[in-house]
Amino acid sequence: MPVKDSFRGGVHPKGLKDPQSKRPLRVYEAVGDIVLPLSQHIGKPAKPIVKKGDPVLTGQLIAEADGFISANVISSCSGKVKAIEKRRTIAGTMQECIVIENDGQFTETGSFGKREDYSGFSRDEIIARVKAAGIVGLGGAGFPTHVKLAPKEPDKIKYVIANGAECEPCLTGNDRLMRERPEEIVEGLRIILSLFPNAEGVIAVEKNKPEAIEAMRKASEGEERIRVLPLKTKYPQGGERSLISVIAGVDFPITALPADVGCIVDNVGTIYAVQRAVAFNEPLFRCVLTVSGDAVKEPANLIVRNGTSISELLEACGGVNDGKTLKKVLAGGPMMGFAFASLDVPAVKTTNGVTVFAEDACEKAEKQETACLHCGRCTTVCPQGLLPQLMADAVYIGDLERYEKKLYGLECIACGSCTYVCPAKRPLTQTFKEKKAEIMALKRLAAGGKK
Amino acid sequence: MNTTLNISPAPHARDRWTTRFIMGVVALALLPTAVIGVLAYGLRAFWVILASVGTAVLTEFIFDKIAHKPDTWLDGSAVVTGLMLALTLSPSVPLYIPVIGSVFAIFIVKCCFGGLGKNFVNPALAARCFLLISFGKTMTMFTVDGVTAATPIGDLMAGRAVNITEMFLGTANGVIGSSAIALLAGGLVLWAMDIIHGEICFSVIGGFTLLIGLFGGQGFDPRFLAANLCGGGVIMGAFFMATDYVTSPVSRLGQLIYGLTIGVLGALFRIFGSSADSFSYSIIIGNLLVPLIDTYIIPKPFAYRKGAQNRERRKFRIPKPVVAIGIITLLAGAALSGVFTLTKDTIEEQKLAANTESYKAVCPDAVSFEPSEAAKSFIEELDGGVYGSGFGKVYINGAVVGRGADGSVVGYVISVTTAEGNDGNITLSVGISADGVVNGIAFTELNETPGMGMRCGEPEFMSQFEGKEVSKFTLVKSGAASDGEIDAITGATVTSKAVVNAVNAGVDFYANVLKGGN
Repeated sequence: MPVKDSFRGGVHPKGLKDPQSKRPLRVYEAVGDIVLPLSQHIGKPAKPIVKKGDPVLTGQLIAEADGFISANVISSCSGKVKAIEKRRTIAGTMQECIVIENDGQFTETGSFGKREDYSGFSRDEIIARVKAAGIVGLGGAGFPTHVKLAPKEPDKIKYVIANGAECEPCLTGNDRLMRERPEEIVEGLRIILSLFPNAEGVIAVEKNKPEAIEAMRKASEGEERIRVLPLKTKYPQGGERSLISVIAGVDFPITALPADVGCIVDNVGTIYAVQRAVAFNEPLFRCVLTVSGDAVKEPANLIVRNGTSISELLEACGGVNDGKTLKKVLAGGPMMGFAFASLDVPAVKTTNGVTVFAEDACEKAEKQETACLHCGRCTTVCPQGLLPQLMADAVYIGDLERYEKKLYGLECIACGSCTYVCPAKRPLTQTFKEKKAEIMALKRLAAGGKK
Repeated sequence: MNTTLNISPAPHARDRWTTRFIMGVVALALLPTAVIGVLAYGLRAFWVILASVGTAVLTEFIFDKIAHKPDTWLDGSAVVTGLMLALTLSPSVPLYIPVIGSVFAIFIVKCCFGGLGKNFVNPALAARCFLLISFGKTMTMFTVDGVTAATPIGDLMAGRAVNITEMFLGTANGVIGSSAIALLAGGLVLWAMDIIHGEICFSVIGGFTLLIGLFGGQGFDPRFLAANLCGGGVIMGAFFMATDYVTSPVSRLGQLIYGLTIGVLGALFRIFGSSADSFSYSIIIGNLLVPLIDTYIIPKPFAYRKGAQNRERRKFRIPKPVVAIGIITLLAGAALSGVFTLTKDTIEEQKLAANTESYKAVCPDAVSFEPSEAAKSFIEELDGGVYGSGFGKVYINGAVVGRGADGSVVGYVISVTTAEGNDGNITLSVGISADGVVNGIAFTELNETPGMGMRCGEPEFMSQFEGKEVSKFTLVKSGAASDGEIDAITGATVTSKAVVNAVNAGVDFYANVLKGGN
């Protein structure tokens, strides 16, 4: 029987991964100030432990995790704390940030960089290192990794999935990382597997990255607990739920966590960061991101210090293409990326791509919008098995009860597949995201909690 | 940087498919059928198509303008509706038919219910049904080279032989879009492109074929099944009409149920009904069931379905409602055909018994009767046409041969119907002995004016024919002199004349067919 290699539903957007997929990772050292938001993760913002004027070094802890779900923030350059103030971030809002005047020396603290023997480390020691390093999910969500790696019942975890699917168009950072650092990723996965005695490690890669599959296979040769699983090229193959559906054969409600069904899913970038943290005691202050899109001159995969200004990164890639005007800039790829209005914002831990377009597909789509044809394409592609057209109808008539109870509207993972395929160009995902926020807010209100 | 950046929620990519693209592909898929229609039926078919499509688009355009709606007339859906309607029309209809139909489809069924995506039944089909009801005669008139002829599906339903190859290619007599192969090709392309749902078209075809096979009376004879599938708009209905997005269910299960319902209804109507257009009605009924199906059959998300936690062990099972509807369908079909078979025998028996009585009345020497083969084949050739000339609107229903106790032929009874009675049809039996003497006549259907035409049924009048051996009776006012003269009933000349003509037809039939044939 052939190996199962795909989930149900999904779409086939254009890959747009060339030419950047052919370009090796390139280190870019920030020139300007480094701006580090206190919240680069899901959960409570970190608490600053430096003051204005304090000198800092690369790799120094400058804000501490505050509470259970929170993550440390690490300085990514050496210099002086210029300010702790509200700055505009990718989300478009003003957020509390630590601004560091970059002295251009990148002097390190010296406490990391040497390989250590971690074979004697206990579970808690490993998790403590991950926590100290401020590692969060680098796939985009930014869930603190030390929390993810400490589920209630570690023995019940059956699969640790290294997510190298990278189904999002344009992005190639994971592809390059797997090609260039396969041993490190396998070592990172081995470290994580040591926390879960009954788990199997699965490295999931879409078939459009044959070199990465080959590299990962070679690196994991002889590893009894690790296998490489090539997956069908389809969006959202790299979604946590899609991977678990394929690998563990389990579909689970949105209220449950992967750990509840015996799975831990980590991006290969995150796993690489874990390896650096445990084997080299290196905190997370650099990330891989892809700068691409039709408006940039030299698309590239960069290793970037967190807090570097996006406009600096764009310049580092040759700037805007001649004769083109920037129309849209995204943090991430076209399917799930976040559009932002000002280029003067910092790239953070979870920024895995900067995609710049001279043409806006949304703007074009808005002009082509017609009434719903009930063609059912949205239903066919929904990876969760929802009925977007009926959900949109329910929202339209204001029946939130039906939306939530009968149509399971809150199960939407906002992957955007329905909006992508809709021939009537209706803003489906967008509506569902908005309604979900509204319903959740109403629920909190009804529970008498905070707004 | 001096640029204004766009902000919008994800996703920031869109598929190339638009509403207009889909409509364009559907129209293209119908194009080969239309072309074959024009080639087979001539320029007339082209004008019908043009009138239908043109009116459809124009109607939507005018509605948009009057109702101050955004311009929806360009989205291509009106073209598809117009084209579909035209393909279901006879090429010989007057041009006002497609025009009225398109206006009805677009204005009443579509625009008045809210436009694209809001119509409650398929507009083209609704228009076709509307036209069938309103212009029944014109709509069912199929002429080839100016001669009215039966359509293959009419032949099929009447149990006559049909040319399947012609039906398949679309050169047989019928609607413009009757080329089964072109429709099938177009439909399969749409299915392959994922524009129409296989769940619908194949369950329609499947349900239809199954029922026709089980209860059609000829089993799963491939030729019979193919003939049934190729005719009467089954392919058109399954691939282009039933799959209309707006009027088909959302869920796969719902689509299966919907498709099976249409197929099964279509087959039942075809087997037990009398209208050759039954498939249109079965789709309309299916359309009307959609809101009900969509209310009750809402599939749960994957995570909430049975076996979501352990999919590896799950095996494929046919969904329960499909099993249920299948069983119900089979039972209903079996019951219907059972009742039909039972009553059919009884009806036949009663008919036979009643007939034997009336045969005896006009052919007293015979002890048994059997149908005349010569008469049968002659009537078949006549194909429901008027018999002979000079007898008025007279039809030969059949003839039996009467045999004596020793098995020799002792006489014939010919059943004749004339449509020229004063108050409707008159049916009578003419008994003629083996040597050509008229034994007598008996009426099986006589509904004339009491006291006047009805008096033809009195022995006084009827006995005038008895024991005569003539080639032709003539009607006189009174004082019949010779053997061939019959006194008319006073004040009922029309009825008298009709009866005499009918008897003459019977005598003529005896002389030319029965005697000549033996």
